Amino acid sequence: MITLKAYLFISLVLFVTGLVIIISRKNIVAILLGIELILNSAALNFVAYSKYTAVNLDGHVFALFIIVIAAAEAAVGLAIVIRFFQVKESVHIDEASDLREELTR
Amino acid sequence: MFSDILFLSSSSLIIASCVLMMWTKNLMHSCVYLLGVLIGIAGLYLTLGADFVAATQVMVYVGGVVILMLFAVMLTGGKDFQSRSQKILGLLPLMGSKYTFMWGSATAMVFGFCQIYFFRHLFFELKVQETTSNQYAPTIEKIGELLITDHVVAFEISSVLLLGALVGAAIIARPRKERPAFLEPDHHDDHGEDHH
Amino acid sequence: MENTIAGYFLKFEPLKYLVTNSSAWLGFDTTVLIGFIIFLTFGIVFLGFLATVGGFGTIAERKISADLQARIGPNRVGPYGAFQLIADGIKMLSKEDIMPRDADKFLYYLAPFLSLFGVVCTIAVVPFSENFIMADLNVGVFYALAISSLVGVGIFLGGYASNSKWSLLGGMRGASQIISYEIPVTLCIMMIVLLAGGLSFGAIIDEQAGMPWNWYIFHNPFTFIGFFIFFVSALAETNRAPFDLPEAESELVSGYHTEYTGIRFGLFALAEYIEIFVVNGVAVSLFLGGYHLPFSFLEGTIPGNLLQFGTFFIKTCVLYYVVIWIRWTFPRLRVDQLMSICWKYLTPIAIFNLVGVAIWIVCFDGQSMFNLLFTGASHSGGGH
Repeated sequence: MITLKAYLFISLVLFVTGLVIIISRKNIVAILLGIELILNSAALNFVAYSKYTAVNLDGHVFALFIIVIAAAEAAVGLAIVIRFFQVKESVHIDEASDLREELTR
Repeated sequence: MFSDILFLSSSSLIIASCVLMMWTKNLMHSCVYLLGVLIGIAGLYLTLGADFVAATQVMVYVGGVVILMLFAVMLTGGKDFQSRSQKILGLLPLMGSKYTFMWGSATAMVFGFCQIYFFRHLFFELKVQETTSNQYAPTIEKIGELLITDHVVAFEISSVLLLGALVGAAIIARPRKERPAFLEPDHHDDHGEDHH
Repeated sequence: MENTIAGYFLKFEPLKYLVTNSSAWLGFDTTVLIGFIIFLTFGIVFLGFLATVGGFGTIAERKISADLQARIGPNRVGPYGAFQLIADGIKMLSKEDIMPRDADKFLYYLAPFLSLFGVVCTIAVVPFSENFIMADLNVGVFYALAISSLVGVGIFLGGYASNSKWSLLGGMRGASQIISYEIPVTLCIMMIVLLAGGLSFGAIIDEQAGMPWNWYIFHNPFTFIGFFIFFVSALAETNRAPFDLPEAESELVSGYHTEYTGIRFGLFALAEYIEIFVVNGVAVSLFLGGYHLPFSFLEGTIPGNLLQFGTFFIKTCVLYYVVIWIRWTFPRLRVDQLMSICWKYLTPIAIFNLVGVAIWIVCFDGQSMFNLLFTGASHSGGGH
C-alpha cells in the first residue's frame, strides 16, 4: 500500500536536492537545473494530493500548467544565459554583479 | 503488485539520480541525471493514475528541456566552478562546499523525520478519499473538460505566455551582427589629408 | 490488463488452468505474475522480430539501391544475398571496441543505448494486429511521440561524447533537426486524433475499419495532404535521406557516429532501421487503416490476428520500399534548407490542415468525403 506520505517524501527529496544545487553551484546553467527539480517536486505534490484527497482532477490540470510554465521559463532563462555569455564571456554567477553598489569604506 | 514495483523502481531512480546530480562535478553528467529524474517522476505519475500528465512530462521535459539544457551547457563551455573551500585539517570541508550542503540537508531531513515520528500523535490525519471507481481510468477527457470550463482563463493566459517566451527567447539569444571597422565609411580622410 | 496482449492470452483455456493451479500452489493470485511472464515473452519475440526486420532493412536497402542503379547488390551469401545481414553482424561483432582518448566515458557508453531505448519503447504501443498489441494505452499515440524524443538526446550525447569536431557538429545538427521536425509530426497526429476522438491506437484504427475508402487518408483533403506532411517529417525525424545531414558520409565523415565502431555503431544503425519501421507502422495505423482487412475474417482468434498482422506488415513494407526509394533518388538537403522547409513550409501547412480538419468536423459532422459523395453509407466517423 503506497500512502500519500511516500509521495510527499519523494517530493521533499526533490525539493531539497534542487535547493542544494541552487545554493552550492556556481554555474548559472547548473542553477537552472536545480530550479527544474523544485518545479517538478511541486507538480508531484499536486498530482499526489489530487489522487488521494480530491474528487476531481484539478491537481492534474495544475501539474500540466506547471510543466508548461517550467518549459517557458527554461527557454527564456537559457536565452538570458546565452546573452550573458556573449557579453561577459563567462557563466560564473559572481559575474552577474553589474548593478551592485560599490562598497566604499 | 505492478504499481508497487513501478513505484519502488521509479523512486529509487529518482533518489539515485538526485544524489548523483549533486555529487558529480561534470555539468553534462548533471543534465543526463536530470533526464533520469524526469523519467522517474513520469513513472510516479503513472502509479498515481495520471497517464496524460506522465506522457506530457516525458514529451515536454525529455524532448525539450533536457535538450535545451544540453545545448546551453555546450554553448557556454560547461565548466563547473568549485567555490574555494578550505578544509579543516585537510579533511572536513567547510561552508560553501557542496558536500557540506549535501550532508547538512540529509541530516536535517533525518532529524525532521525523527521529530515528526515521535510527535506523530499530535498531528491529525487527512481523510483519505476511497476511490470506488477504476483507479486507472483514462483522464484525458476530464482534463480537457476542466481546461475549457473551470480553468479556461489560465489556459488562455498560458498560451499568451508561451508566445511571449518564444518570441522573447528568440530575440534575446539572437546573434548580434558586428561590422568590422574597416568597412565603415570613414569621414576623417578629407580632414586628414589637409594635415599631411 | 484488458487491452493488452497478456489480457488476450489469459483468456485461453491452458493459461487459465495454469493461473488457477499456480494460485492454489503459491497462495496468492498469480494472474499478474503469469501476465508479466507473457509480457516478457512477447517483448522478447517482438524485439527479435524488429531486430530481424532492421537487419533485413539493410539488405533491402542494398538490393533496392542496386536495382535503382542498374546493378546487382550482394548476392553471394545465401539465396539472392538474403543472409548478408548475418555476415554483417559477425563482422561488426568482431571489430575492436575503441574509444577516443579524451572522450567522456559514461556518455560515450550511454548514447547508443539511449537511442535504442527510445526506439524500442515505442514497440509497446505499435498495433500489429487487433490483439497483438503489447499494451493499448489510453494515451498510446502521445506516448509513442514522447518516447521517440529520447533518440534525439542519444544522438546529441553521442556526438558530444566522442570529443571530435565532426561528431559534435553532427550531433548538434541531428538534435536540432529532430526537435524541429517533431512539430509537424505532432500537428499531423493531432489532426487524426481530432477525427478519431481518442489518443489510443485501437480507437483510431477501429474508426478506419472496412473498405479502403474508410481510411483516414481519404477522409478529407486535409488529411490527404497531412499524410504526406507526416511522411516527410517522419523521414526527417529518423535522420533519413534526403535529410541525413547529421550522418552524411560526404559532409561530416559519418557525423555523430564517426568514432563508434563495432557493435556500438551497430546499435546506432539498428536503432535507425527499427525507427523507420516503427514510424512507418505509426503512419499505416494513423492514415492507411492499420491492420484492417476489407472484410472481417476470423476476428478474435489467432489465425485472424495473424492475417491482420500480415496486412499490417505488407502495408508497412510498402512504405519501407518508398523510404528506401526516396533515399536513392533525391539529393541531400543543406542544413539551412532543411530548417527552412520545416519552419517555413511544413509547420504552416500542418497548422492550416489542423484548422481545416476542425472546420470540416463542424461543418460536415465529421463524415468522410466518401460518405458525403455517396450518401448511402450511414457510418459517421469522428466524435465519441
